[in-house]
Amino acid sequence: MDDHQKFEQALARARAEAARRRARAPEVDRIRREMHAVLAAPGEQPDRSLGITRRTFIHRSLLAGAVASAATYGWFPILNTIDIAYGAETFKFAWISDTHLLPKDVNTRFVEKAVRAVKEVQAMTPPADFLIFGGDLAQLGDPVELDLGADILKEVKIRKVFIPGEHDWYLDMGARWTHHFGPSPWAFDHKGVRFIGLDTVSRAPDYWSAKKMTPKERMAHMAVLDGSVAGAWAGVGRDQIEWLARALADWPKDRPVVIFSHNPLWEYYPPWNFWVRDWREVHEVLKPYTNVTNIHGHTHQVLYNEIGRMRSIGMLATSWPWPYPPEGVPPLTRCKVRVDPGDPFDGVGWSRLTVTAAQRVENEYVMWRKHEHIFAESPADSGCADNINQRLSPRIADREWPFYGAYK
Amino acid sequence: MRPTHRLAAALGASVGLVVLLITAGGDRALAHKEKHTPEQLKAFEEVFMEQVRIGDLLFHGDAATEKRLGVELSRTGMACAMCHPFAADTHPHEFPKFQEQMNKFATLRDMINWCIEKPNEGVKIDPESDAMKALEAYIIWANRGSKLDPGRH
Repeated sequence: MDDHQKFEQALARARAEAARRRARAPEVDRIRREMHAVLAAPGEQPDRSLGITRRTFIHRSLLAGAVASAATYGWFPILNTIDIAYGAETFKFAWISDTHLLPKDVNTRFVEKAVRAVKEVQAMTPPADFLIFGGDLAQLGDPVELDLGADILKEVKIRKVFIPGEHDWYLDMGARWTHHFGPSPWAFDHKGVRFIGLDTVSRAPDYWSAKKMTPKERMAHMAVLDGSVAGAWAGVGRDQIEWLARALADWPKDRPVVIFSHNPLWEYYPPWNFWVRDWREVHEVLKPYTNVTNIHGHTHQVLYNEIGRMRSIGMLATSWPWPYPPEGVPPLTRCKVRVDPGDPFDGVGWSRLTVTAAQRVENEYVMWRKHEHIFAESPADSGCADNINQRLSPRIADREWPFYGAYK
Repeated sequence: MRPTHRLAAALGASVGLVVLLITAGGDRALAHKEKHTPEQLKAFEEVFMEQVRIGDLLFHGDAATEKRLGVELSRTGMACAMCHPFAADTHPHEFPKFQEQMNKFATLRDMINWCIEKPNEGVKIDPESDAMKALEAYIIWANRGSKLDPGRH
């Protein structure tokens, strides 16, 4: 057999294995669901903290015998389940964010996905008490995009609250956004929980005036996640931190507080503004409160962390998933699976959050297509472990005049 | 030529080579190559970094650069960097490899074209084009600290 034939044989084997894997996926899902239905005790509410991992463990030990692997990757404590004391009544709320809508004639996929999320939230039974939209409704802050988003969100008939993302803001400095969705920050109490919505996007240092940028140029730089021109734009700001202190002043220190923000309220990866620059000052205000949960967008990925007494959960985007950054992924995060770039519905979705009578808030990622396989079960399928040999450098083309704009 | 003559000729050539190397003095460079000057090295680097810059702009959806090079990398408003900030998850150090999405043994250039055609719905580019070389230069440069791991899925 010559080398060419050997190569063809190896290629055929790889193709066959890939085909087997594709064909097997729905079958594994079915087996998992059936086993769960059979093995769960009557009336037993599935414990979400173990629901997926337990199924994974049974599946692996029965079908594959790979117990060691399941023990390594399957029995890690759940990280998207949040305990909240004094949750007096069970209720649900939903999160949608990062739809990044472009005009309909440019990109229909993002519209389809935003519409799907909205329909699924509206179809929740029992209905969610409210929807929080977490920012980045538009891609380039264009009124056409924001109006389109407002129309899509009208289909949700339950109560809605909104916080802005940077993509919604920097064309007209928030005028259209505020016209549609009102000002931030805000706070309200609901069934024993104080909910707070922050604006972490509008207080960027002025990078545009000195360079005489047009509003479109200003927006274009803000819209590039790994750009360097807009700098450390994410922040809460002194005025809003003072507002936060006032908004919490009358709230008992041991009662639950849920803070919605577009950016995470901790330092994850500053080059992509996966933080707010004044997170330490924010935490100073929050320090006396023993039960604070931050729910945020912007990172487009499965993410969990605990900083001090604050817990933080990252939400999925409906538009596209971001990769994990080259450093800073918290050890408490169970990484999401590697997503298929050929499937626009993979790795994206929305979140269903439940505040239970047992004083718990549970977050359920509604990730389309791979709903049953949100968390990585082995290094080969992990969005983090996949990058073990990867070392990255920041881009350069926007660091040197005249390269920061159009190529000259 | 008789064997003894061939041996003599080979010996003669070897002696000649040794003499040539000795006369080149302490310089280890081959006789036909000039010593590199700092200016030369700078010029070589500039050629490379210019391609990196152009690739960076293409990767980030710069319309003027696309127009100048006559390519249309996306028709969805998506740019490469929207899924790959800092060229993350492009994994140039893993190519060539069997690529599941394409169901074939693929190079980085194949993968770049797949992304242009599928998620971006753009127009596939000539694998030997300036645009492809620039994209490749940027992706590899951005990942230059990565450990070579060819074939890894």
